[in-house]
Amino acid sequence: MDVFTIAFWGLGIILFVWSLVKSREKAKEAIKKSRGMMKNMIGDIIAIIFMIGLILTFIPPQTIKELLGSGNLWLSTVAAALAGSVTLIPAFVAFPLVGSLVDSGASIVPGVAFLTTLTMVGLVTFPLEKKEFGTQFAVTRNALSFVAAVSIALLMGVII
Amino acid sequence: MTMIKKNWLPILVGMIYLLLIVFRSDLALAAWENSRYYLLEMVQILPVIFLLTVAIDVLIPREWIVKRLGSDSGMIGYLFALAFGSLSAGPIYAAFPIAKTLYQKGAKVGNIVVILSAWAVIKVPMLANEVKFLGPEFMVVRWFLTVVFILLMALVIEKAGVKIVAEEEGIQAPVAVKSDYCIGCSACARKMPEIFVMQEGKALVQQDLSLDQEQKNQLALVAQKCPTQAIAVRQQE
Repeated sequence: MDVFTIAFWGLGIILFVWSLVKSREKAKEAIKKSRGMMKNMIGDIIAIIFMIGLILTFIPPQTIKELLGSGNLWLSTVAAALAGSVTLIPAFVAFPLVGSLVDSGASIVPGVAFLTTLTMVGLVTFPLEKKEFGTQFAVTRNALSFVAAVSIALLMGVII
Repeated sequence: MTMIKKNWLPILVGMIYLLLIVFRSDLALAAWENSRYYLLEMVQILPVIFLLTVAIDVLIPREWIVKRLGSDSGMIGYLFALAFGSLSAGPIYAAFPIAKTLYQKGAKVGNIVVILSAWAVIKVPMLANEVKFLGPEFMVVRWFLTVVFILLMALVIEKAGVKIVAEEEGIQAPVAVKSDYCIGCSACARKMPEIFVMQEGKALVQQDLSLDQEQKNQLALVAQKCPTQAIAVRQQE
């Protein structure tokens, strides 16, 4: 566990105990509610995790790296944004991957598009988002995030 | 049937794995290896998310959330949502329960978008990692542009009037439709469109409800008239 996760745990435990002290009754009801919500999501979350494993097996980071560094800038930017949308790889893999690409002289634009959609657009988490927030919300948020990611990437290409 | 519809994702993934185990067990094993990191991450984060949703529910009064993150919260609300999302830990799915709890307590859609996006993209430990591999200039520029675009997205979603409609109702809602019972006759949606919407052949309850006494009385009648008694009305808090 990194420091941040540990701090998060500390905060969670303190606030939870505080809730219990403040009102047993209310806390009991809230626990019941949260448990229901979690129970609703847990099956999908586990499925999502195993789906990520599958996707990483069929589209390994090496393939993504080749995609990011290839040919036409526009094409590779859109392809990179798409790759970021379907995959979910940890930051400590994604940053060195893009870093080594940039060091080897590739344009940063596809790399940025990839980094941004990687976390903001989630095709794999889409079913869960749809279930919890509704189709309209999930579609709009993901579509706008995709456009935003490509725009951020292009602007970065101009600025840096 | 509803069991399958509700759990189609786990069933689908399970079937893919079964096929792989039978025909390409090497790939199934590799996929499992790749999943392990995320499984560990989930086990580390989800219990905290559970504790936090309970704490938000108990400790933060509804009025406070409405004021800070509700429909009149303005720029301060966005900045607040931005800070909240950035200081979190865990993947985006961990943000779903938190965002949902905040929404039910009165946060507006735009701020939910900001929280989800900030949670996903601009986390502090990730920024540190970014500096290490891509340099401070890269990080700062990307961070700045991302913040600008997140706020733009929130504004667009607010202006477009995008609504949050959960497919599953929690037990805390004043009104809930038991989707297993609902036959989609849409009688309730016709009588009280301000409460019920039809989606994929089932009635759903709009989430941002504030009912006056007259509406509550009418609601009780509508619930009684539901042919399958699928509408559950909860009494006053």
